Amino acid sequence: MLWVSFALPLPAYAQKDSIALEPVIVKGFVPQKFMSGLKIQRIDSASLAQVRFQNISDVLSAYTPIAFKNYGPGQLSTASFRGTSANHTAVLWNGLNINAPTLGQTDFSTIPVAGFDQLSVQYGSAASIVGSDAVGGSVLLSSQASGKPFHVSVGRQQDSFNNPQTQTDLRYAFPLNSQWAFSGKTALYDGRMNNDYPKPTRNTYALLPTETFQKGIVQDLFLRSQNDREISAHIWLTDNKLTLTPEDVQGREMTRTTAYRTMVRYQVRTLALRTAWVRDIIDYAKGDLSHPDHSVTDKFASRLEKDFSINIAGDLNPVLIKVGGEWTHFRSRVPGYAYSPVSENRTDIFLLMRWQPTARITTSINLRQGLVTGFNPPFTPSVGLEYGLIQKAHYNLTLKGSYGRSYRVPTLNERYWKDLGNPDVRPETGWNKELGLEQTFKASSGSTLRTSATLYHNRVKDWTYWNPSKSYRVENLQQVLARGIELQLNYQRQTGSWRTGLDAGYAFNKSSQEKAYDNYSQDIVGKQLVFVPAHSANANAFVQFKSTKLTGQFQAVGKRYITFDNSQFLDGYGLANLLAETTFVFDKFKLVLQGQVRNVTDAFYLNVRNNAMPGRSFALSLTFSYDSQ
Amino acid sequence: MKMKKQLASSLAIAFLTLAVWSCNQSDPAPKGDYVSGVFVMNEGNFTNNNGGISYFARENNTATADIFAAANGTVLKGGVQDYTASEQQGIILVDNSTAGQDKVQFVERYTFKDEGTIGAPDIENPREVIIVGRKAYVSCWGTNSDLKYTTGYIAVIDLTTKKVTKKINVADGPENLAYANGKLYVGTTLWGAGNKLAIININSDEATSPITTSGAANPVGIDANGKLWVNVGDKMLRINTETNVTEATLAIATEGTKTPGNFTFSNDLKSIFFVLSWYDSAGKEHGGTYKFSITDTQIAMVTPLIPRPFYGLAVDPTQGLLYAGVSPSYTQAGYAVRYRADGSLVDSVKVGIAPSGFFFQ
Repeated sequence: MLWVSFALPLPAYAQKDSIALEPVIVKGFVPQKFMSGLKIQRIDSASLAQVRFQNISDVLSAYTPIAFKNYGPGQLSTASFRGTSANHTAVLWNGLNINAPTLGQTDFSTIPVAGFDQLSVQYGSAASIVGSDAVGGSVLLSSQASGKPFHVSVGRQQDSFNNPQTQTDLRYAFPLNSQWAFSGKTALYDGRMNNDYPKPTRNTYALLPTETFQKGIVQDLFLRSQNDREISAHIWLTDNKLTLTPEDVQGREMTRTTAYRTMVRYQVRTLALRTAWVRDIIDYAKGDLSHPDHSVTDKFASRLEKDFSINIAGDLNPVLIKVGGEWTHFRSRVPGYAYSPVSENRTDIFLLMRWQPTARITTSINLRQGLVTGFNPPFTPSVGLEYGLIQKAHYNLTLKGSYGRSYRVPTLNERYWKDLGNPDVRPETGWNKELGLEQTFKASSGSTLRTSATLYHNRVKDWTYWNPSKSYRVENLQQVLARGIELQLNYQRQTGSWRTGLDAGYAFNKSSQEKAYDNYSQDIVGKQLVFVPAHSANANAFVQFKSTKLTGQFQAVGKRYITFDNSQFLDGYGLANLLAETTFVFDKFKLVLQGQVRNVTDAFYLNVRNNAMPGRSFALSLTFSYDSQ
Repeated sequence: MKMKKQLASSLAIAFLTLAVWSCNQSDPAPKGDYVSGVFVMNEGNFTNNNGGISYFARENNTATADIFAAANGTVLKGGVQDYTASEQQGIILVDNSTAGQDKVQFVERYTFKDEGTIGAPDIENPREVIIVGRKAYVSCWGTNSDLKYTTGYIAVIDLTTKKVTKKINVADGPENLAYANGKLYVGTTLWGAGNKLAIININSDEATSPITTSGAANPVGIDANGKLWVNVGDKMLRINTETNVTEATLAIATEGTKTPGNFTFSNDLKSIFFVLSWYDSAGKEHGGTYKFSITDTQIAMVTPLIPRPFYGLAVDPTQGLLYAGVSPSYTQAGYAVRYRADGSLVDSVKVGIAPSGFFFQ
């Protein structure tokens, strides 16, 4: 079986230049250049480093309006991005969708920050570029080649409730010969959430006894040549074992999620090839944990792409074009399926175009067609435009707009689950429109202020639904409209040894079912979808003096309905965290000491199981590192 | 000596009568927000643990969706499997999706104020409760971690101390209960492999010889003539409670694919209502609600009393109306629909999620 693949080179042009430049090869996993008109938020490395012992959901809830449906600390945590369901956020690791093919979603509690180097969040549908699942948005994780000849760090965090986390990180780089250079990273992480709460309840609600053990290894290898050739290999093995009521030998429930993710990329100038193999294993057992239900899904995915540029008029910039294809084979053995193994092939072909005719205008037109065993998803076009309304040295105002089609291929569970699955279920399809304004002030004093406002309107048809009024059979039942507004603000200031910053956001989202299907759906139509807060806000502020930094984080989540008719809800809540960090430097050695107070106000809030979330807690970490430079 | 004892007994009885009489005289009408009306047991959606008890006065057609939450500022934290009440005390069976979190919740009967709980390991997967004197009998599946419904027990609760005093083992997932003349009849769940009706002597709280049945037994109750009715598969058995002999067997026309359930007696204990339902290939439920007399020689199935199935069914002893629970899904509020005994519709009241039972006071 041929499943060799390619990387995604970016023929990059200086972002605001109006003059055509010679194409320069830029390494990147996701062709963000073609996402003009869409909103992309990059979480900076300093913010990530601050929460290196935590899970990605902690970062995303602190910096983005993504709402999490969380079953408890260390337990299942799924995302609702812009009012969509857990199946509507694509999670990409080095450009590869790593949503579990069986469930079509990612349990964010199984993704530690230690597993990746860079994190970006792309808002809204980007199906023409990302493919299936990118309906509400995409979470982009990627590896980054290290430039450090030798760097090692070892860290440990001790949290309240007997929850220790340990990490080791090794980075290395050296030239092989006059042509080739080698670099790499090896990282190990191990987390043990024992959740030994001092009291079994809060306000009469149980703090459920659970334990979560997480461990993993990340290996990245890069070989780069002078003549724009690159070969890289990426491995991420991760294992997450959750046990509910571990002391109750009869009633305990164990869910173990293991993923083997491997990838090889090869790039020679404008041609890129990528091939990947991912194995997702889920083991579930109740009571006797020795013979769990064991489900295994393999995914073989390859991608080939080529960049071109076409001059359409002598004095205008050329049009950048990327054409490519992706081929994916799934093979799944799941005890609950009607038959086993099931296999499925998916092919995608795409054509992405970006054109910057003048300094003010950037436009992209992207086309994609997916082909799936048994049925074909719709043709998926998108068009994006960015227009610089004001472009001054100290002030920029940009108008952004995008209109595109999205789709979601049904998950393997939705198609093949015994009795309940529906092999003929149709892919979901939607149209996403959005319009945004972004402005940047740059003061000569060294401070920068960026604000943005984005309006979106995303209608999804044939929304797949495990219909509770039909014994949970899978049906294309709903039509959902999600619309809302997002406001974001970022402020940075540097004066002498002092740095200050603020990241704040507010989001309003109205996401509701539009059509009625039976007598009782009149109670549901027009109502907010479950676990989608209408209002959410977050703020992160820091003050840094030399190498000592104090950070305050605040997030507010509005009322979340738990029933489709909005008859029941979980109350809104506000959470505040404080982080203090200082770095001691001794020549090439560094010691980072960090203290955290989580849920400073001891706020009371509930999770999906109607169990209490923990109150105020503390964490202390020490990270020791050595850098040869 | 004998005389003296008799005299003492008579005196005791006289005093007791006087005491009861004076109690009656001095006892004011019960106080609380939930004195006279209909209590609806809502199962909720399993993993959300969001069941509750809804309440409405008979003359109203709107309900308070969750009276435990209204009275205590906190929810029950599980689905409601059953509710019943003794003189001053209500007993709620609460089923949580996580092992070890199930409980019996005691409340003050008329105010619904929290009066304590009994949890695991005494109570695990509680199903149904019956009060006899100062004891409550709760059928429990036990942990049932293999989901095979092979074990189970009846928890005997002393209502004064609010403690489980005994667990009486009953195999195959004990479920429905019926009581008559010192005997507790215990059926088993349809999910298990039960093939008998257990009988517990409530004086000794010991199991006596069971009645063997051809499948899982589902006791309905005692009719106007003192006979016990039990549903087993597609049959209704009329059993003599003195001899344990089956005196009559009536067939329910299930056509092999339909499932009878939600049996309930009419007020005069001379008729039985039940639901017969089935699922089509698309997973949609169909069915009807039927009625037969205890003197019928066969169950007329041609025309249902009401041409739709229900999630719960009960008759209000005060007015004789038939209360039917409608659950559109586990993710939205259900309805209590009221019918007259002839099957004609009265009205409907929006209640909690998955209304499966009713308690009238």
